[in-house]
Amino acid sequence: MDRLKYAMMWAGLTFILLLIFLSIYGAFLGSDRAESFFNCPALAFYWLAFALLLVAGITEFRRLLRVPCLLLIHAGCIFILAGSMLGSDAGGNLQKRLLGIDKIRKGRMVIFEGRSENRVISEKDEWVKELPFFVKLKDFRIEYYKPEYLHIQTHNGRTWKLPVEIDTEFSLDPKLGSVTILRTFENFKITIDGDKKVAIDDPEAGYNPALEVQIKDPNGNVTAKYVFERFPGHIHPEDKFLLSYHRVIRDYISWLEVIKDGKVLAEKDIEVNHPLHFGGYHFYQHSYDDKAGQYTILQVVSDTGLPLVLAGYVMLCAGVFWHFWLRHIFARVKSKSE
Amino acid sequence: MEIKYTTQGLLIYITIVVYLLALLMTLLRRPKAGHLLYILGFITAVVSFGYRWYHVRHIPMQNLFEVFLCLGMIYPVSLFCHRVLRVGGYSADMLIGAIVLVPAGFIFNAQPQRLPPALQSWLFTPHVAVYMLSYIFMAKAAFCALCQLAGKGLNSGENVLPAEQATYRMISVGFPLLTLGLILGSYWGKLAWGDYWGWDPKELWSLASWLVYVGYFHFRYMFGRRHPRINSAWAITGLVVIVITLLWVNLSKLFAGLHTYAI
Repeated sequence: MDRLKYAMMWAGLTFILLLIFLSIYGAFLGSDRAESFFNCPALAFYWLAFALLLVAGITEFRRLLRVPCLLLIHAGCIFILAGSMLGSDAGGNLQKRLLGIDKIRKGRMVIFEGRSENRVISEKDEWVKELPFFVKLKDFRIEYYKPEYLHIQTHNGRTWKLPVEIDTEFSLDPKLGSVTILRTFENFKITIDGDKKVAIDDPEAGYNPALEVQIKDPNGNVTAKYVFERFPGHIHPEDKFLLSYHRVIRDYISWLEVIKDGKVLAEKDIEVNHPLHFGGYHFYQHSYDDKAGQYTILQVVSDTGLPLVLAGYVMLCAGVFWHFWLRHIFARVKSKSE
Repeated sequence: MEIKYTTQGLLIYITIVVYLLALLMTLLRRPKAGHLLYILGFITAVVSFGYRWYHVRHIPMQNLFEVFLCLGMIYPVSLFCHRVLRVGGYSADMLIGAIVLVPAGFIFNAQPQRLPPALQSWLFTPHVAVYMLSYIFMAKAAFCALCQLAGKGLNSGENVLPAEQATYRMISVGFPLLTLGLILGSYWGKLAWGDYWGWDPKELWSLASWLVYVGYFHFRYMFGRRHPRINSAWAITGLVVIVITLLWVNLSKLFAGLHTYAI
């Protein structure tokens, strides 16, 4: 190895060591501060220098050009670095200045059911920008794991977990009696019917899941209770049990339409792990209105640089497996066949 | 630390005891009995894993308890390393199998959990599985490196590689899996959260562990086997960073982030 190559190898090793220490340091900062730290001008210079060193390495080390798997590994790393730089804030600003491309990098959209929206908000950078098309939320729904459960706890810590099955009587203990779930509510409300207070499941906007529970004591006395998911009760001295109603979210789904000039150009049910891709942006199910279930919050992310990063991933993976696994497997198969 | 008085707990404790008995038999120069007990321990570990799978109704790789339960099924890797890769440390694998089951049996919470929306992805199983497999290879690499540093061979008398070369071979097998795990995780992050890289503590520690092995390969390319002790130090450092990535990041409140559900 000549002096230049030796110096380049040392430089590469130094860059790797530095990145190990920077990654560990970044881990202690938390994701928000780490993102700012790794995108600061000094680190931008580091990323650029690292990418240039890899390019120089490929041109200087003939072996990297001769051995395809090694070329794939190193070129894959360059692609990943290039794609990441292109998709970063600094990359976006550079594209705006040099090419006049002004794309939203990342932001959020709040869309109410039945409404269309094209405004993207960045809370971090405090701006509101508009997309060249509208996104309409046709419907938003939350799905829960089945069965749902009613949890019962006594003063002395005994617990039961009963599946929510209407009109099924569950015997707890001969001394405690039994429990029957009579009704479920998605949006519990009380109305006045004449002189009586009546519990109804209000179909209008709102979100107040509840259960109507009948408790029968060992003497046959019956009392009714309402158990609310969002307002868990407390044990009072006169109560025999604490009742609580738990549901576990399985998924939350937004039914979206992309509209431009009055025409529906795309339509998709988006959920976590299943984003919508349209017009150079990805739309992700980020959050929702947990009080009334009336709006969804989408994360909007530009796809600038993404194809380069994904190509880099494929190249890196293919190169690594080829270099460390496949060529040895092929060599072994070949030697056996000979 | 608590004893689990459940069928799941019982299966874990039986596996630990059988693995330790297998190690004892091997040390007492009764390799056949040791091997049979090792297979028996593996079968119990598989039953334990299957029981958990049946109980939680999804592949049990969601939290640390389930991950360590999965790591307990070390036997096929051990056999592959011994027979195909000519890497020793077969008896040490029995000890590794028992050690990884101790946190599952006595420390981690076994309360079944439903999969949150982010984990309901086809990438869940391959991402976790390739990481676990790579961690086993890297643990074996670190064991070989320790033997090299201690000046001891791996099961002398057997047709196995010297410790330094065995370390290299183990890392060469584990590194592509580590790379695939990192890339699958990144791609999954893009699908679930919108970012292929979120600068989350777990991601940064994973990157650090990957980079330690990248450093190892570059250092070994530069100096070959001229500095075997430094080569071994890289391999051991790699495992230390992996342990931090797997345990400290999830358990410590220092590193709150997107992966905290994996406790």
